[in-house]
Amino acid sequence: MSLSIYGQPIASRLLIGTALYSSPAVMKQAILASGSQVVTLSLKRQNPLAQSGEKIWRYIQASIKQNQGFLLPNTAGCKSAKEAITLARMSRELFQTDWIKLEVIGDDYNLQPDPIELLIASEQLLAEGFKVLPYCTDDLVVCQRLYELGCQVIMPWASPIGTGKGLMNPYNLASIRQRLPNATLILDAGIGKPSDACIAMEMGFDGVLLNSAIALADNPALMAKSFAAAIAAGESAYIAGTMPERQTAHASTPTLDRPFWHHPEHT
Amino acid sequence: MNIYINGNAFELLNAAEPHSIDKVLAKILPLSQQQQSFALALNGDFVGQADYCNTHVSSNDSIDLLFPIVGG
Repeated sequence: MSLSIYGQPIASRLLIGTALYSSPAVMKQAILASGSQVVTLSLKRQNPLAQSGEKIWRYIQASIKQNQGFLLPNTAGCKSAKEAITLARMSRELFQTDWIKLEVIGDDYNLQPDPIELLIASEQLLAEGFKVLPYCTDDLVVCQRLYELGCQVIMPWASPIGTGKGLMNPYNLASIRQRLPNATLILDAGIGKPSDACIAMEMGFDGVLLNSAIALADNPALMAKSFAAAIAAGESAYIAGTMPERQTAHASTPTLDRPFWHHPEHT
Repeated sequence: MNIYINGNAFELLNAAEPHSIDKVLAKILPLSQQQQSFALALNGDFVGQADYCNTHVSSNDSIDLLFPIVGG
């Protein structure tokens, strides 16, 4: 079964960012190697004379066209619901999509999302017909409130953006999965290694969104492939059903007809 | 009158005339820049392209032009 984003089937469960690459060509190679069909990007003030935004925009368009992909604009840098709502409206016009990765930052130090402003912005944008993908912390109640508002996709962090620390609170993330079984859950931010993504998928997450771990690798295209493989492994492991953890050892070799050295006379 | 585009001040002559956004952009931005992909906000509120011709700017108004950029 494929990933579903507001009913849109997506073949790859890896969503990829476009920032921090050493060049647009390296970015394009990584996107293609990842097989990702959802690519994030943003809007910023720029000197119009530079025209660099136009070049990047064309590069991203070419990359997603080859993967038959979709754009996922974000509201990075916004610190209030009002700013995020304005940026979402601008993104919808420019990128011709009603998908929005909704980010409202509440703390400059760890770039932690502001749950209150996030809820306000989500409610307004959903009312305007946006398909909101909110980026939030691993707080169960915030995720529940977002889901109750109508967010079909919720994107809790693994750890703060760009840290590569992996899953800080596996218990919280597992609780969110358990309590919101029908939500599309995408783990977003803080992932450092393919094994982090694999763990999330083994928990039953529906997808993983990341940027730095691929862009900052020595070989981004190879790392993109590694993440795709790890996500596929985690997904199939979740479907296969992992064994329950036990507190004590259990022999895996059959104990019936064991040979002489286990006979009481020899012990 | 003065207006601000991405934080930079520009002076518009004939302050008595109403200045619609499309006319302001045509006066201030060269054609090559007008043809770039951008979205616009006036004083922090989104203005769609279809409304550039019927939205007017006043003195000290602030226009933000936002362009596509990489993002995570």
